[in-house]
Amino acid sequence: MIAKDTKGIAPPHQQAGILKTLLLCLPMLMVTALMLSAGKLPTEPVRLFAFVLTFVFINAVFFMMISTGQTDRWRAILFVTYAAAFVLSFITNLIAERGSMSISESNMIEGLTPFCHIVIPMTIIPAALTKTIIFPGTIFGTKTAIASMFVLWIGSSLALGRGFCSWACFFGGMDDGFSRLFKKARIRSVDSRWTYLPYAVLLLVVLASAITLDPFYCEWLCPYKTVTEYPEINSVKTAIQAVIFVSLFLALVVIIPALTKKRIQCSLFCPMGVVQSWTNKINVFDVRVDPARCINCKKCIAVCPSFAISEETITAGKTKITCMKCGKCIDACAKKAIFFHIKGTPLNAENAEVYRRLFLYPAFIFLATMAGGSLQDAIMKIINLITTGSMI
Amino acid sequence: MKYEGFILGLTNGVACIAACAPVLMPYLMGEGKGIARNYWLTGQFLAGRLIGYLVLACATWTISRSILQAAGPRNIIIGVAYIIFSVLLIIYGFFRKEEKNCPAAGAKRPYQRLLASWPALLPVAAGLATGLSFCPPMLLAMAGAAEQPNLAMSLLFFFSFFLGTSLLFVLAPLVGVFKRFSVLQIIGKLAAGLMGLYYLYSGIIMLVGGLKL
Repeated sequence: MIAKDTKGIAPPHQQAGILKTLLLCLPMLMVTALMLSAGKLPTEPVRLFAFVLTFVFINAVFFMMISTGQTDRWRAILFVTYAAAFVLSFITNLIAERGSMSISESNMIEGLTPFCHIVIPMTIIPAALTKTIIFPGTIFGTKTAIASMFVLWIGSSLALGRGFCSWACFFGGMDDGFSRLFKKARIRSVDSRWTYLPYAVLLLVVLASAITLDPFYCEWLCPYKTVTEYPEINSVKTAIQAVIFVSLFLALVVIIPALTKKRIQCSLFCPMGVVQSWTNKINVFDVRVDPARCINCKKCIAVCPSFAISEETITAGKTKITCMKCGKCIDACAKKAIFFHIKGTPLNAENAEVYRRLFLYPAFIFLATMAGGSLQDAIMKIINLITTGSMI
Repeated sequence: MKYEGFILGLTNGVACIAACAPVLMPYLMGEGKGIARNYWLTGQFLAGRLIGYLVLACATWTISRSILQAAGPRNIIIGVAYIIFSVLLIIYGFFRKEEKNCPAAGAKRPYQRLLASWPALLPVAAGLATGLSFCPPMLLAMAGAAEQPNLAMSLLFFFSFFLGTSLLFVLAPLVGVFKRFSVLQIIGKLAAGLMGLYYLYSGIIMLVGGLKL
């Protein structure tokens, strides 16, 4: 059994002075200004307001990360807001373009389905066998095209490994958000057998997709269809699919995360998470434990949202391959025994803050870039709602 | 002996193993046995398929316009077969705990006793259910069997079709090389359970369609 709840003392964090913090934030200010504006300041007042608000919000979060020495506390604010903004922006754009959240067969035939990274594991084997990507979308042309998503995924996997799930995934903030709903976990232990369920889901969807030449996960198992787009309900089959999507969303993204304080969809179901875990092997950043400093309070085990720490891994001085690098355990450790680390460098907990900052730059750039577009769009939609009574 | 059945099976073997792999591979992984034992389990699975094929051969030949050509009865038969098989698979994947050596571990539940008494039940049922899929090669085989002059030739046609489709299954037991990775057993069982859910859905849909509810 895992995830026993424990009580710990408030951890001390290395706080930076205001001048040092500003200097460390300067590169992020410049990068985010460039990424959010795409090199050109918006002239339309609403768009300019959305840009400024997003820029200030994102950089305030980064400032607090550097200033307080805490990672997950501030990351979560941006990550969860990003997920909410993504849903708002995505749904309103779908309705504006199609008049509905549902996608019809004619839309699919025309290749109008946006591609998402969760489909990637399903497409690899059929692509190798048939030289065909089994997805009713376009390869080039839009930011949600297949090629764009592949490039984004490869880049973020190289930079962050499974950190992708805590710093870039536009769905991850949903169960992350719901997992923070209650102060204490109502369900305090989960059978460790279930941590292998994502591997089973991956095995199932890869085999089934290769055989049916259909994106099996999208057709049957994706909880996020509930808040993005779903097949038009016009038969018993599509009605059953809709029931499955909504049930999985409520169970895996809302209810069980709230009760367990764990990211259940990401940790116990998502097949993409398995693939991302393997990319942790080639990524330069990892999270390490100094057993000599550890007082065995098990707070890190209790707070880890992805079941990535156990007593065995603490003894071994590392986390499991499923670590999402959210930084929650690092924030929680009273003795600073657990820290971000760069592979190949000495395992010295004294350098923990340096390692953390070096990790934060690429991770935060990904989060800011991914979140920026959705945040600006969502702000504009909300302004539209206030001024015109409609988001569209 | 005519070779049409064998050649038909051989040319469609990839399609057959593709249909059976999502069930057979997780099951073999879940059992976590060695290669030799996996051949035995695959043999049981193939025996189930053979039973299904021979039943179809009899039905196809004895009734020139087989009841299986009518969509309603066909869907009911396959739907029921799928549901029974899926329940076994779901029990295997999600509810069948590892056997405990401790005699005080408590009495086994009925389904545990059933699977313990009839260990071949699951692979045979899996083979039978997947063998009853009316894929295009199967329909071709049925058409070929219907043209045979007598029942024996019809059975022989289906048997040779079975042999042709089974050749690629020689590779499946090789998954036993991973038997030392106990984690794969857990993953295999969970995947089998998930596949059971899919077959349960397929069975219910076929049954509903067959009964015209």
